[in-house]
Amino acid sequence: MRVGTCIAAAALGLLAACAPIQMQKVDRGQVTIGDALTLTADMAWNRFELQFPLSVAPGATQIWTQDGITLDALAFFVGVADGQTLGAQLRGSQKTLPLFRADMTPDEIVDLYEQAVTQEGSRFALERVAPARFGGYPGFRIEYTITRKSDSVLLKGVALGAVVKGKLHLAAFTAPAIYYYGRYLPQVEPLLASAQIK
Amino acid sequence: MRCWTASRSSAVRAAAGLCCVGLALGGASIARADDFAYQAPPPFTRPAAASDEGGLWAYMDHEEERLKHSSFVIRDPALNAYVRGIACRLAGDHCPEIRVYIVRTPYFNANMAPNGMMQVWSGLLLRMQNEAQLAAVLGHETGHYLQRHTVEQLRDAQGRSSLALFLGMAVGAAAGGSAAALVQSGVLLGGIAYGRDQEREADRIGVALMARAGYAPAQAGRVWAQLLEETEGAKAAGEEVSSTNILLASHPPLEERKEVLSAAAKLDWPGATRTGDEDYRAALAPFRLGFLEDEVRRRRFGESLVLFDRMLKASPRDGQVQYFKGEAYRRRARDGDAKLAIEAYRAALDMDGAPPQTYRSLGLVLRRTADPEGATSAFRRYLELAPDAPDAEIIRSYLPGSGS
Repeated sequence: MRVGTCIAAAALGLLAACAPIQMQKVDRGQVTIGDALTLTADMAWNRFELQFPLSVAPGATQIWTQDGITLDALAFFVGVADGQTLGAQLRGSQKTLPLFRADMTPDEIVDLYEQAVTQEGSRFALERVAPARFGGYPGFRIEYTITRKSDSVLLKGVALGAVVKGKLHLAAFTAPAIYYYGRYLPQVEPLLASAQIK
Repeated sequence: MRCWTASRSSAVRAAAGLCCVGLALGGASIARADDFAYQAPPPFTRPAAASDEGGLWAYMDHEEERLKHSSFVIRDPALNAYVRGIACRLAGDHCPEIRVYIVRTPYFNANMAPNGMMQVWSGLLLRMQNEAQLAAVLGHETGHYLQRHTVEQLRDAQGRSSLALFLGMAVGAAAGGSAAALVQSGVLLGGIAYGRDQEREADRIGVALMARAGYAPAQAGRVWAQLLEETEGAKAAGEEVSSTNILLASHPPLEERKEVLSAAAKLDWPGATRTGDEDYRAALAPFRLGFLEDEVRRRRFGESLVLFDRMLKASPRDGQVQYFKGEAYRRRARDGDAKLAIEAYRAALDMDGAPPQTYRSLGLVLRRTADPEGATSAFRRYLELAPDAPDAEIIRSYLPGSGS
């Protein structure tokens, strides 16, 4: 399905980004993202092929959603190498994103993630960062809220990540605190628990 | 309405952060007392709905409704009463027309819409050293308002068939819309701004209003000098100076501004001596930690470091600001910054009011600089002081014997 995106892009706080977004279906079963992260989906998802960074998760390798990315967004940042940014700069943003270094601690990676997803002025608040396994490796779990700049909606989010062989892999689920976060978290948690990093 | 003074050419864009501080005073190079003999118009009434001005008001009313519900508006009654009090002292008989919204956005900006909606951004509050400096900026904005410059601009825009752009800029002024999101993140928006003559007029009126309200006019010049210092700081640090920087725009020339401002300050302003340093500090104190966090997250480290040094000069034992100086170095992470960060954190811990996170950040940098014992000791202290911090679990995992 193709979506004309001039209007959608405006709603998402983007400038001059009127290229088509391609949305595809992720079927139930095993799926591999970025040749490095394998997941087992118990339900079908919509998957965005992105031609430009979206403010919900700028530069993510893929974004999955059930009801649309402003309502629920599961973003995958796969294989971020030393010296790269986590995600990408939004068009027109003058902020210089920090660079990932392979020896970063999880709380330093929280800063990277926060910088990526607040480029258009949303507010990020860390609720918890704790050790957790991800993709079969020791990693971390981040719980956070975001107050979205465009409409003041309070979002809740959870991200799981790990640095494996010098590369960062991170999956982040973000949705409005009212209704949508709770609705899909029970599906997202086992999906992320099924992750395997190559 | 936004008020930055960028030229109308698309090459010079509206400033995301540094607007409304065009403190040039009149076209003459020497200020005269006559220049400031300003008579404000009688209080405004709502224009007819069918008029162009009425349409603009309706448009801004709509934006104000959005702003009222924005989570980015700081609603603290004491801070609002304080800022509103300053705005009212400046506006005199027009005070009842003004509604102040303090918006948590870490850029230097204040503006006033023709319907009386005044926005004051937190990045401005953090940057002003005293009440008189804030009064200088709000006085300038009030000058635009009293002279109804926005309406002139509207008519000009209509004449140039750029009404949609004009209204887009107006939307950009309010904190709710996506345009605002772009504005505050530094995304460029071109076009509509006040003209040079309007800026000069607003500057002249602003100084008159602040002096009549008892504020020391010399502080208006300090606002300008401080901004210039921050820009120089960015340049010295090798950072790209924002293309939205008001200092690069084609405004009244800098030399003219400096000269006229300095002359204005030397005029006889009976009773205009208040700077309000202590009151300002007290009013901002409950919010300063959050504003400083926002500031360092902008990643404009050259500017921030100049700001922090200025704050430390005014208050040399301020451990909170000193901590954020360390944060600027740590987050910038250039060669040599780790050492500077460690020094800053250690200095902060010897001062008053360093937050517990100083130990956390010190630990993170020491960990990287091959001082594991020092890091462990700093982390332990952090966990003692902030056992329930959001990152306590992960910090605990860095300690020896934690298994990670």
